Amino acid sequence: MDFEVTYTEAQQTFRREVRAWLEANVPPGITRTPADDADSLKRYQELRAFGRKLGAKGWLYPRAPKTYAGGGLDVDSTIILEEEVDRFGLSLPPYYDSGGRLGSATIQVWGTEEQKQAFLPPIYRGDVRTWQLLTEPGAGSDLAGVTCAAIRDGDEYVLNGQKIFVGSDHGADRIWMIACTSPGGARHENLSWFMIDANLPGITVQPMELLGTGGEGGTDPVQKNTVFFDSVRVPAFTLVGGENNGWKAASTHLELEHGAGGRIGRHRVWDRLLRYCQETKRDGMPLTQHADTRDLLADIYIKTEVQRLFGLRNFWLTYAKRPRSYEGPQLSYYRKMTGLWMTGAILEAVGPAALTTDATWGSPEGFLELQQRNGIIAVHPGGTADVQRVSMSRRIGIGRVAREAAGTVH
Amino acid sequence: MDLALTESQEMLRASARTFVEREAPTHTLVALQKQESSLVPDLWRKAVDAGWPGILVPPAYGGSESTLTDAAVLFEELGRGPVPGPFFSSGVLGALTILEAGSEAQRKAILPAVARGEAVLAVAIMDPSTSWGPQAVTLRPQRVGDRYRLDGIKLFVSDATAATHLIVAARTGDGPADVSLLLVDARAPGVRARRLPGFLSWQDEVRFDGVEVPASALLGGRDNQGWAALERALGRALPVLCSYMVGGCQAVYEMSVKHSQQRVQFGVPIGRFQRVQDHVIRLVNHLDAARWTTAEALWKLDTERTATDAVHLAKAVTSESYMEACNAAHEVHAGQGSLMEYGLVAHTQMSRTLFAHLGDPRWHKRRMADALAW
Repeated sequence: MDFEVTYTEAQQTFRREVRAWLEANVPPGITRTPADDADSLKRYQELRAFGRKLGAKGWLYPRAPKTYAGGGLDVDSTIILEEEVDRFGLSLPPYYDSGGRLGSATIQVWGTEEQKQAFLPPIYRGDVRTWQLLTEPGAGSDLAGVTCAAIRDGDEYVLNGQKIFVGSDHGADRIWMIACTSPGGARHENLSWFMIDANLPGITVQPMELLGTGGEGGTDPVQKNTVFFDSVRVPAFTLVGGENNGWKAASTHLELEHGAGGRIGRHRVWDRLLRYCQETKRDGMPLTQHADTRDLLADIYIKTEVQRLFGLRNFWLTYAKRPRSYEGPQLSYYRKMTGLWMTGAILEAVGPAALTTDATWGSPEGFLELQQRNGIIAVHPGGTADVQRVSMSRRIGIGRVAREAAGTVH
Repeated sequence: MDLALTESQEMLRASARTFVEREAPTHTLVALQKQESSLVPDLWRKAVDAGWPGILVPPAYGGSESTLTDAAVLFEELGRGPVPGPFFSSGVLGALTILEAGSEAQRKAILPAVARGEAVLAVAIMDPSTSWGPQAVTLRPQRVGDRYRLDGIKLFVSDATAATHLIVAARTGDGPADVSLLLVDARAPGVRARRLPGFLSWQDEVRFDGVEVPASALLGGRDNQGWAALERALGRALPVLCSYMVGGCQAVYEMSVKHSQQRVQFGVPIGRFQRVQDHVIRLVNHLDAARWTTAEALWKLDTERTATDAVHLAKAVTSESYMEACNAAHEVHAGQGSLMEYGLVAHTQMSRTLFAHLGDPRWHKRRMADALAW
């Protein structure tokens, strides 16, 4: 066994090239907490401009095929890029692009050649930011129950309905969504995926006021919205994977969303939490020197290590093209439940300072307060913790009579 | 990065699995549970033929000195039984302790016999009414001329009833870590080992009544070097013990999946019930946490990376995981799991026995935090 990614001299040269380029091109202060709405928009625009620069080098989606303007890089180079971007507190892409990540992966597996050529390059170049729209008021865990309708009318589909808990702040250019193309049709045989323009007449975005946004891996979306579709007309060409074949195509999307891709980065909250506890004194001693706090920190650290190892294993399974079973949803489940458990452990270790964003009495940039919110909320997006368990059971072969196979991701 | 086993490790795994299935099927293991000694002569002889007691002993002392990961592959298979016997006590912790603490002459005198399975080591560390750690070693030998005289008790000694030799931790100074290791003939007059009854798997009381050992029994020949040597040995041995527990977790996982597919209640296999699924998922999460923390610690050791924190982490996680895995398995099996003949109980008992063996999870978590220099 070898747990370390080892690099050739050529790869080390690549790392130096990446590092130098990032140092010259990452906008200064990009990880700042925006001062106000105008600054938030300004920061978003900086991130998008940075994304286009990355895209031009093929580094925005490094593993995506070069034919479609992706980087066409191997796993090792991708890891190097992710590690180097991580040093700046950023991910790839550096902005919320859920529909770009998951939609493009599905299009690669299920799209026609024309669709790949039309939809993939703008995503990989960073020209468009894409939201994924799955959840509806009446269809959460039961994704197959979506009722947002897409009815064929000549060379177009007409969309009517509502999506909820979706997107981020500052809008989107494209929408990747699942809709019902055969209302009243047989369950699992009436759904289709669409990759559409986000700014068509009849689309209305309404921000929601929520406890938190949870984060779906990578970049925190900051805001969630309700999106209304009122007789929105889209070209038939935007339907991906075949009409009424959406449930099958969903397996790729959901497999990735449920953690199959894995992750190899550090745990961001842990590193900051340890530093905070080393720097914060109680009763004249750093928190890390208090026996009870130390014990809590040990428990927290161990869970982050197990989570890291599950992520590393999934990363390896996926990219070494090994058979997978329950591991994707297992990582998702573990991450979700650890986050929730950690809210209590951190609150006990740090006390009420974990609950305030106050510049003097809270943690730096309120990162602990954000964890207190997100730990609760992250249990649900991208398939609830309970859904992950259902999925695991089926893969293990106890949920149904026949064992369910993992979705195709490569 | 490549998280797969090598081809030769896959072969070792396959042959060890065949061996365990043939030599130690469930009904045999269940029958062994009541034995005074963990050593089953027939099984031990065949394991010796396969070279297992010498798997970590260097060739200079008659062993095959495989990597720790190789040894772990074997111990995972033994743990699936769980196969009893002094495999770990003698071939791993005992042998590594002799290597770390013993002089060249002492190594030459004992290790070849250990590798041949003729000598069997057990490591006696804990004293009655004390906790774990060097400060807890209180048995104080009397120096009588060129001999040591031992009077006292060692407790919770694994596999002492099977041992030919005991490595005894003794207090030889007043500093917290002033501990020395003595190699004592387990059949010497005044030594008596007795398996402790109840819900413990082959942990013993060892009494020393006026046992005289020569000065040459002091490992390394110098006082107060014992604990440091023992810690170095434990630092390599513990992940192998963890692998034994990973094998246990894997076995109870497979039992539980099979049972939830086959057991029918309310007209359906019980695996269809989400409450039952929850137990299986809790179990597999513990299994995988144990598996991967252990594998990473082994890899760090085999590649000579800093591994102290990873070893303590693995022991803490694995001890908790094995216990929790068995708890979850009992939830899945209900009454059937409590039948001695079914085989789950052997794991449950082993999981409890190994929970605190060589330091409980809390102790290891604290050493992990120390090693990380928080």
